[in-house]
Formats: sequence, C-alpha cells, structure tokens
Amino acid sequence: MRGHASLLGAYVERTSVLHAAPLWAKFIPVAVLSVLVLTLWSPWVTLGALGLVILAYLAGARLTVRELVRPLARMWPLILILGAFQWFNAGPLTAFIVVGNIVVCVLAALLVTLTTESQRLLDGLVLLAHPLKRFGADPERFGLTVALMLRSIPYLVGAAEDSRDAARARGLERSPRALILPVFIGAVAYAQQTGEALAARGLADPEHDDDGALPGDAPDAFRG
Amino acid sequence: MIQFDGAAVQAEHPATRQILAPLDLFLGEKRISIIGANGSGKSTLLKLINSLVLPTSGRVSVNGLDTARRGSAVRRSVGFMFTDPLSQLVMPTGREDVELSLRRRHRHRGERRAAAEKVLERFGLAHLADQSVYDLSGGERQLLALAVVLACDPVVLVADEPTTLLDLRNEARVRSLFRSLDQQVIFTTHSLEFAREAERTLVVDSGRIVFDGAPADAVAAYRELSLHGAAAEGRR
Amino acid sequence: MQQTNPAPHPTPAGTPARARTSWNATDLSLIAVFAAVVAASAILPAIPVGQVGVPITLQTLAIMVTGIVLGPWRAGAALSLYVAVALAGLPIFSQFRGGIGVLFGPSAGYIIAFPIAAFAVGFLARIVFRRFDRFRFLALFAACTATSLLITHPFGIVGMMINAKLDLAAAVAADVVFLPGDILKNLAAAAIGLSVVKAFPRLQSRPARRS
Repeated sequence: MRGHASLLGAYVERTSVLHAAPLWAKFIPVAVLSVLVLTLWSPWVTLGALGLVILAYLAGARLTVRELVRPLARMWPLILILGAFQWFNAGPLTAFIVVGNIVVCVLAALLVTLTTESQRLLDGLVLLAHPLKRFGADPERFGLTVALMLRSIPYLVGAAEDSRDAARARGLERSPRALILPVFIGAVAYAQQTGEALAARGLADPEHDDDGALPGDAPDAFRG
Repeated sequence: MIQFDGAAVQAEHPATRQILAPLDLFLGEKRISIIGANGSGKSTLLKLINSLVLPTSGRVSVNGLDTARRGSAVRRSVGFMFTDPLSQLVMPTGREDVELSLRRRHRHRGERRAAAEKVLERFGLAHLADQSVYDLSGGERQLLALAVVLACDPVVLVADEPTTLLDLRNEARVRSLFRSLDQQVIFTTHSLEFAREAERTLVVDSGRIVFDGAPADAVAAYRELSLHGAAAEGRR
Repeated sequence: MQQTNPAPHPTPAGTPARARTSWNATDLSLIAVFAAVVAASAILPAIPVGQVGVPITLQTLAIMVTGIVLGPWRAGAALSLYVAVALAGLPIFSQFRGGIGVLFGPSAGYIIAFPIAAFAVGFLARIVFRRFDRFRFLALFAACTATSLLITHPFGIVGMMINAKLDLAAAVAADVVFLPGDILKNLAAAAIGLSVVKAFPRLQSRPARRS
C-alpha cells in the first residue's frame, strides 16, 4: 500500500561490522555515549564523541559522507538558532557543547536505526518486555499490538490521502472536518473490524485466561 | 458437537429488539448450511458458535465448552471465516498472516516459518506468500483467509457467506476445498446450490429458525418464504 | 536503559494488572490503530486549513482526539506504544525522526508528555461524557486546553531547559509560539472527538463489545 516503503526506509543495506552486530551491542554503547557527553559536559568530550560517531558511520557502518550529513540537513535550522542563541547568552564554548551534544546523541541513535532492519528493532523492543513478565506483562500480546500498529500506518496514510481527494472533489478542501473526521471514523471502524478478526482467530487472548472468569468482567475503568 | 440451550441474543440499543429468539439446537452433522435473508440473524447465529457474540440469555457450548466461560478455548477449536477476506487478514502479507496464526503453536521462529510454508503450499499459495494481500485477487484472498483459519487445525469451521464475493470459478474452487475438509463445517450462503451440498440446512428468518431439515426441503421452504415476503411487500 | 526507554511499561502488556487482563482483541486493536493514527499524523505533510491556508501538522490534534475517543487507559497505552516504537528507532516522530536520540533533543519534553496528555484528556473527557448532557463541545475544548497548558507545554518547556540549556524565559518564549496553533487544534479536536463518539457511542462509555 502507499507509504509502506518510505516509512520503513530508514534502514540502509550494507555489509559492515555494525550491520552484523547484534542490536544490544549497538544500543548499549549509544546509550552510554549519550549519557557520558551529557554528564561530563566538556568540549573535549563532545569533540571526541563527535569524532567517534563520525568514525562509526564511515568505518564501522561503511556509510557514505552523504548518508552521514543527511540527518543533519533536517536539523540545521535548530542547530543554527540554538547555536546563535547560546553563543550570545553563554559564549561560544557552551554553544558548541549544547549543539554538539545534540548532534552526537541524534547521530548515534540514528546509526542504530540505519544499520538495523526494522523487524529486528521491533523484536528488540518486544524482548524488552520479557523481564517485565512477572509484573504481568505479556510480550506476545505486546508484539502483536506493535505489528498491528505498523500494519495500520500505511493503511491510514492512504485513507487520509483518499479523504483529502474526496474533500477536494466536494470543494471542502479547506474544511478541517471534511479532511480529518473521515480519517478518525475510518480508523475506529478499521480497528473494530481488525479486533473482530483477531478475536475470531483467538489471537489476542491472554496466555492463560481460562480460569473460569467471564469475559464480561471488564475493569471498572472501562465501565460507563 | 455444538449445543444451543435456549440461547438468545438481544440487541443492546433499542432494548426491545431481539436479534435471535431463544434457540435449542444440536448441531452434530459434518456439513450444515444456513440460509436466510440479509439481516435475518444468520451471522449472529454463526458468531455465537465462535463466542464472537455471547448469548444474552441461555448458553451455547462447543464440545462441552461454554462459549461464555471458556471463550478463548472455544475460539481455538472453532475457526471463523468472514465474508470479506480483508476483514480476516491482519498482516500485510500472506506469509506473515499464516505465521501469526501459528504463533501459539510454534514458539520458535524457524519452526514457525517452516510450518507456515507448508500451509501455504497446501493451499497452492506459496508463490504469493510475500505479496501484499491488497494485491491479491478476490479468489486468492479468500483462499488465503481459509488457509489462515485452517492453519491452526480447528475442529469446527464456521464460514459466513464464504463465496458471496467470489466469481463463479473461484466459488467452485472454494466449494471443492470445503468438500475436501475433514472438519465439521457450518456455513451460511445465498447460493442455494451451495446450500444443497450440506447434510442438513437451517432456514433463518427474523431471528428464528423456521425450517430445519434436509437441504432440498429447506431450499423449497426458503423459496416459498421469500416469495411470500416479496408479495407482502408488493401489496403494501 | 530504563530511563532512556519508557517503552514496555505502559504498553498494553504492562499497565496495572486489572486493566490489562481484560483488554480484549478490539481494545488492543484500537490501541494499535490509534498509535498508528498519531504516527500517520506526524509524518503526513502539513495540510492547509482556513481562508489563508496556514499549514498545520495534526499530531497534537490526533493525541487529543485519541484521548477523547479511547478514554484514559487505552489512550495512554496508544501513545506509550507510539513513543516506544519511535524511540526503538522507527522514523515516525515528526520530520521522520526516530530513535532514542530524540530524548536528548530539545523536543524531548513534548514527547514524554504525549502519553500523559492522552491519559489526562481521556480522564477529563470521561468526566465530560458522564456529567454533561449539554455544552459537551465547550467542556471537551476546556479539557484539551487544560491538558495543553498544564501538561504538554510545561513538559516541553522543561525539556528545552534541560536539553537545550535554555533558561526559563527563553524556553517559555520558544514554547509560546506553538500555543495559538494548539488552541485552534484543540477546538478541532473537541469537534472531531465529539463526532467520533457520536458515531460509535459504545466506545467511550466502555470497551467495545466483548469477544
């Protein structure tokens, strides 16, 4: 469907150390690096981290300079405004640390996305739910919900485009109601249809729910 | 083995309307068809079997399991097929959808993959496995929906007008697939020819079962009923 | 990790026991689809609205409508799911951003506020639907605006103070720019939320039909 490809298009296919590395081996260093630059708060640390990140992009992940700069292109207004503001207020050094740290953190985190297929990212996310099992978390249901969400995005983007066309056809292209309401109505209808399909297939049931409880035992929070 | 004990369904909103009048029924035959006009209560009857709808009074049980108390166990043994395969299919591709069905049975990813491949092959869908379900033809989609439901080996298959959206050739294909199934199959249909392939046929009208018996007699009864109804409309 | 990624806690799998165990298939599906609605609203191009055609993005509107339509728990879960998936690295924040790096950027405060705001609007909207037979539109608008002023914007301001090292005055100045737009979006959100609840009356009052 429309929009599917562009949405999950962050991943860049390549053969590299970082592409081959398991998710945790990328995620933990990124988290550590981010925390370090923010807590140490020194221009040298920021500079070093910046060098490290660039090295990781070009050598570790074998990405091109262009692929390194692309995310920065989206951030430049922010870099400029924030940098100028801090320069006037607190001097060039602070301006460098503030802006440099943001760039380091964003680039480092993005590197994980660029070198990991989305399915593996999501598997990692679901894995995070496993330690919470004894607090009652259900990783299977969580994973299913994540999959459902991703499946719905392209459908909704398509539906939004359709409703834009429909509004234009009726000369209502400036009316927020005609543009937006059908998307929400459609979303609810779609969710209910999907919910029924899942229920019919027994896919959304909790793991061990056959304890004789009536399905009507809804939580009080949901009662009218 | 499906048992209805005074099961009735009351509409929630205009509290007076009855969608399905109290029903006592034992469904044991291997092929049972249900015919009736649109809105007569056919779909509700089917959904009661899968515990998608719970009776507002009375009870329904499948192989001794109460649909209200053991909902998820019932759903695991009763497969439900919707008229529109797109309401059935949840994931973007056939392979992912079959894998979703097999989620509970095969914890291991590789095993699940292999099992899904087998199911797809069995229904002649292996070559379409990675296509978007939106790019499949109506017939292919319906086959996929059937594959997805049968992947979990349900004991009973319940199908709500499985051929209504299909052209003649695909209808024939789905019907012959139905014939080949080992499961008990209960289906609604508007095709009287398809209805005749069952061993027993129920005719539903305004939330009641007005005929229950041999398919040929049921079809005759339904014809008469429809003609009467149309004539009554005409007089008004 | 726990701090950088609020992911699994408030998701369908992880909220307080009673609420979770009874979420049925339709509830899960609504949570997933509304998380997707918020994602779509963040990545869709801004739409021109009104006589002059000011382009607006619809994310804050989508969050408010989610709260009104789904109620506090499901709306909070939907937004937690959205934030978790985006932080995990999918580019579904506005301007196609994603990944935990966003938590270190100046907009981190707003993002952390999303689930809380959805919960708050849902909570207030539930009160509106129970207590008000008339003036529902105005009451919903008030609920949205209270949430904007008391949750979204303060979180956003604190986020900018921490991550962009702005002082309070500068952060407030940077934040206030968004306020008029948000007020307009809250008007639209109240109208749209009301219409959706009218179309699906059983949604707000309790979970969709049990299955």
